[in-house]
Amino acid sequence: MRCTFCEKDAVLRLRHANLRLCPEHLVSRVEKEAEKAVREFRMFVPEEKILVAVSGGKDSLGLWQILTKLGYRADGLYLDLGISGYSQRSREYAEAFARGRSLRLFVVRAEDEVGAGLDEITEVLRGSPCSHCGTIKRYLMNRVAWEGGYAALATGHNLDDEAATLLGNTLRWDLPYLARQYPVLPEGRKLVRKVKPLVYLSEREMVAYCLIEGIRYIYEECPHSRGARSLFLKAILNRLEDESPSTKITFLKSFLRVHTIFPKAPEEELRDCPSCGMPSGAEGLCRFCRIKERMRERAPA
Amino acid sequence: MEGEVGYTQKLLMVTLRKRDQALTVPSGKNLEKLLREAGILPDTVLVVRDGKIVPLDYRPQDGEEFELIDVISGG
Repeated sequence: MRCTFCEKDAVLRLRHANLRLCPEHLVSRVEKEAEKAVREFRMFVPEEKILVAVSGGKDSLGLWQILTKLGYRADGLYLDLGISGYSQRSREYAEAFARGRSLRLFVVRAEDEVGAGLDEITEVLRGSPCSHCGTIKRYLMNRVAWEGGYAALATGHNLDDEAATLLGNTLRWDLPYLARQYPVLPEGRKLVRKVKPLVYLSEREMVAYCLIEGIRYIYEECPHSRGARSLFLKAILNRLEDESPSTKITFLKSFLRVHTIFPKAPEEELRDCPSCGMPSGAEGLCRFCRIKERMRERAPA
Repeated sequence: MEGEVGYTQKLLMVTLRKRDQALTVPSGKNLEKLLREAGILPDTVLVVRDGKIVPLDYRPQDGEEFELIDVISGG
């Protein structure tokens, strides 16, 4: 199998793009597709400072590598959520990546910010760990980016993630979620712009990119992701893609083309949280501070 | 002689390792076909040997071993 662009042997066939790629052209395609998304959705410009949320996984570390190679000023943020064993191992990958490339990485621990890690928080508050994790992550990512003066917070959401989210939102015809699902979420008061430069790249391309670029990433999954609905939706989409290549990219691109038909929810009135001063949709403490408060209440005197 | 009546046909085997599992499948077909026969959608894994990606049209030889890297992640 020969590369579509040169005489070398191809290592990867991308049926959805009708391409066969050698390692060099795969790297080049991944970086070009990310850059294309950055420009198309006006995510940021080279003069702006970007914070990349890194988990130690393939997508976020791959994204950090891509942005750095493209010449963007990108620092990293790793959130240590205190998930027994897993957090420490994933943090090591993020730190090794930053160290090996002399990049700036902020490490923020839930233990320091909330007073407990996710395992303990879930034990005390009950409910789904992923729900508490989402609240803590969204809050800390935004706060660190805002306090650090970053123009945008970049996450490693890829084509498969976005297509699965879109399928889930569509199955429920969840109009507010469909209206909000977009590769860029604009900034607001004390809210940093959120961007997803990997929106056109499949997970398979990102794994291949990391292998070729020598990026070591955590292969094991978060223990809380077992049985997650998003994995089930991804499996369905992969069956469809196998039968009909380009299903995922067509699904997502067609949605983005008609995105304006989804009514934008009226701007939520945000108040400053009386405790931390960050924006909150609720009266009184923001969701993050409520978790913090409840953890403080249960702490032994 | 391979496959001749009266002789035991020699089964040529290829090992595919995926996380903690090892699948041993008969060789003689390309990787894409071997994956499908093992019930794995070819685009959900990368086949790797010595850290290098092996294309799916590669036809393994007897005794070769490959690692399958899951590409699906998240929760």
